[in-house]
Amino acid sequence: MLELFSYPLILQGFIVLMASGLSFPIAGVYLLRMNLLPLRFMLMHGALLGGAIALAFQLDPFLTTMLINLVLVWFMMQASRSLKADAGNISIFIMVAAIGLAFTFISVFNVQAKDTLSLLWGSIFTISPLQTVGFVFVALFVVLFQLLKRNQLKAVFFDSSVAYSSGINESGIHYFVILLTALIVAVAMKLIGALLIDAVIILPALISSLHTKSMKSMIVWACIWGGVFSFSGFFVAYWLKIPTSSAIALIATLIFLIIFIQKRLKK
Amino acid sequence: MEKSLIITQNNLEIFSSQSKWLYPLFEFEDFIKTKQLETHDLFLTDKIAGKAAAYLIVRLGFKSVHIQLISDGAIDVFNRFGVKVTYDQLVPKIQCKTEDIVKGDEPVDVVWQMLRRRAGRVAGLIVDIRDLVVDVDKKLVLNNLKLRVEKGEHVFIKGSNGAGKTTLLKTILGLEKMTSGSIMIGDYQVGSREWERNRQIVGYVHQEMVKNSFPISAAEVVSIGFSAQKLSKAEKAHRLEISMRRTGCLHLANRSFHELSGGEKQRLNIARCLCQQAKVLLFDEPTSFLDGSAKEELFDLLNQIWANEAPTAIIVSHDEQWIERFNWPVCELKEGKIC
Repeated sequence: MLELFSYPLILQGFIVLMASGLSFPIAGVYLLRMNLLPLRFMLMHGALLGGAIALAFQLDPFLTTMLINLVLVWFMMQASRSLKADAGNISIFIMVAAIGLAFTFISVFNVQAKDTLSLLWGSIFTISPLQTVGFVFVALFVVLFQLLKRNQLKAVFFDSSVAYSSGINESGIHYFVILLTALIVAVAMKLIGALLIDAVIILPALISSLHTKSMKSMIVWACIWGGVFSFSGFFVAYWLKIPTSSAIALIATLIFLIIFIQKRLKK
Repeated sequence: MEKSLIITQNNLEIFSSQSKWLYPLFEFEDFIKTKQLETHDLFLTDKIAGKAAAYLIVRLGFKSVHIQLISDGAIDVFNRFGVKVTYDQLVPKIQCKTEDIVKGDEPVDVVWQMLRRRAGRVAGLIVDIRDLVVDVDKKLVLNNLKLRVEKGEHVFIKGSNGAGKTTLLKTILGLEKMTSGSIMIGDYQVGSREWERNRQIVGYVHQEMVKNSFPISAAEVVSIGFSAQKLSKAEKAHRLEISMRRTGCLHLANRSFHELSGGEKQRLNIARCLCQQAKVLLFDEPTSFLDGSAKEELFDLLNQIWANEAPTAIIVSHDEQWIERFNWPVCELKEGKIC
């Protein structure tokens, strides 16, 4: 099986998958804690809009999608702050607006809808060397951010007014975390596709929250589970001849069910 | 310089001070805390003692003393508490302001706390609120409110629901914007750049219990107190242990915060403020979620904290029975003003 790694694209895909699996669940913890689960739906619709714009104007789809998503997240944060409304709820409105705009571009510029939709399906074997460097950089950045800001993050996630009174720039941390999370979700879409993003980002964090008692152990376990799913998913996919993203999603779901049932039985 | 205070044990000098006024006694208080000494077999020789010094000597636990110059009032205090006293010279009154302030019939702890404040031996800072006006969603909540709480003093604020008690605390914290007026915490004006850099001088224990069930351990909650401060690993560990020990929750360190009772959670919140080394503590309805025994524990804990760290405190509560137990000043917030 190890001869697989003699193919540069496969080796590259494996490196990206492991780097993401071990680090992106940190963003899953942020998403869960900040109740930003609708954010990923907004980003999926943002990907469609970005794809439509990229195909209409012959731009790089990956970069355009990333840029559009960051703009949408920035808009969501501004709206949430000025309207004092929940960011998750605002994202639903943006999602509707994004899909409306996407289909307008598709219609006006005669873009093939199936080409745009294909952007929602990622693959670890279609990543360029430059993108590999980008993925590893994002993965290292999120780990470094968590390590350096762990105390402030812990305080903000516990209670924002307590964090503020402890002297933390809680709104700065809050908005940076949203931006970082959005960046990771957008990057992960390219990796395994928008529809299976939960397997790499959310499920490891969710499983970890079921069996940990401290924030530190939750983060560590989320990364461990993410690494385990990515590693096993890669080889199970080869063995069963199914897509890697599907294998990761199935393994993650299976582990989640086992821990969930075990926890229910204990009660 | 001549020694003003000498403490001996079996005729051997173990402590002396050349300071003036009541400071030698406060210095000795620190000395016995560090050395963990018992005072019942020690002998004290003091140069001058009025009523205030007599109260401090009683509180320190001495059973026999010699005073060179003593007042009538001091002798009364020593006699009242069964301290054996000898002296060289007796005067009706010594020339010191505290001789007038201390009546002689107050409880020892009350006098001790008052003298600590006068001696500047409290951690608390002055909270001075002037002509504070706060509008929330275009509705006037606080209207030209004035309140001054001295260093190490504590005050209860009561008021009906919606009177603006929580808004007042949030404005002191800097979480709610002032329409006009000013709030000074020590030398810092709330909202100023200097204040932003030193916000951790105010600790906050809020009304609502944390609603999310996100995994966090008791020790992690307490460590939030120093999360914005640059400290060494050893200093962090030390502060964490001391504050959890002080509030009797060290044994809870590895437990999940969400599994704890309301009383244990409040202890942790106070430990968090101690860890933060807050000089001013703001409590918003601290007994809201507590049963009878937990309220009793909180009462004891707050009294201990005021006896030691002595931060300035503003406590918002409508729990009349609990407030009465403290015998602290009570203000009422009505129509946006302190009555």
